[in-house]
Amino acid sequence: MSIDADIYKRVVAAKMYIDDNLHEPIKLEQVSQQACFSPFHFHKLFTRIYKKTPHEYLTQVRIEAAKKMLGQQGASVSQVCMNVGFESLGSFSTMFKKKNGVSPQVYRNSALERRKAADEQPEIFIPHCVLSRYEGTE
Amino acid sequence: MVTKLSHTSFYVLDQDKAYDFYVNKLGFKVHTDVKMDNGFRWLTLTPPDQPDLQVVLIPVNNNPMMKDDVRNAFKTLLEQGQMGGGVLQTPDCRATYEEMKAKGINVTEPKEQFYGLECIVTDGCGNWFSMTEPKPGH
Repeated sequence: MSIDADIYKRVVAAKMYIDDNLHEPIKLEQVSQQACFSPFHFHKLFTRIYKKTPHEYLTQVRIEAAKKMLGQQGASVSQVCMNVGFESLGSFSTMFKKKNGVSPQVYRNSALERRKAADEQPEIFIPHCVLSRYEGTE
Repeated sequence: MVTKLSHTSFYVLDQDKAYDFYVNKLGFKVHTDVKMDNGFRWLTLTPPDQPDLQVVLIPVNNNPMMKDDVRNAFKTLLEQGQMGGGVLQTPDCRATYEEMKAKGINVTEPKEQFYGLECIVTDGCGNWFSMTEPKPGH
């Protein structure tokens, strides 16, 4: 059975609500209210459209946001954990490692090292074929 | 034996504007973003679920690698919207269409084609794309 345009609009608005509020303690009831559905109906529609449950989606966007923040100077792992809406450092670290294969701290160290190298020696990140073309036009 | 495509280029009128479109609106991830002392910026992105394909955003304006006649030729094509960047794939075209519209992206209504459900999207930097939810087997 196809989903009509109005339902799409409402589910998409709720998905965008998750994107904009991932740092808050979001509950399914809250998100389904955004879409004017019961939590049960919303869960079913969201999962059908996005091929993952609202909770799985929320976890995914939180982990992606954490990866961005961990690559920035000054953000500690526990600050990042709070900033992306996880309630405990333990559950954040476990979920992060499950999704990325390394702990948040290891990911952060490696991202900061890469950032430092990019600032100090940007040319090592640019393919030689590109640099030589640039040199050829100077 | 050639086995894979690892990098491809999108020529864009404005690199910052293109960054905003692909990263903040479409959800592409930044792979490499480095800047040389002379101002040359090497910026590559990966599609959300395709970490092994880097899209290089190549600016046409202020690009020291381009001679004037080449720059002008690209500029003309981009200003006229003649550059087709390829096909963006989505698991649900109607949902992505609604989200793009809500984000102010220039996108046409989804239409059934023999290969799937398709919209035409423009990036605001001179490129157009098919955005398709493919039918099985396509």
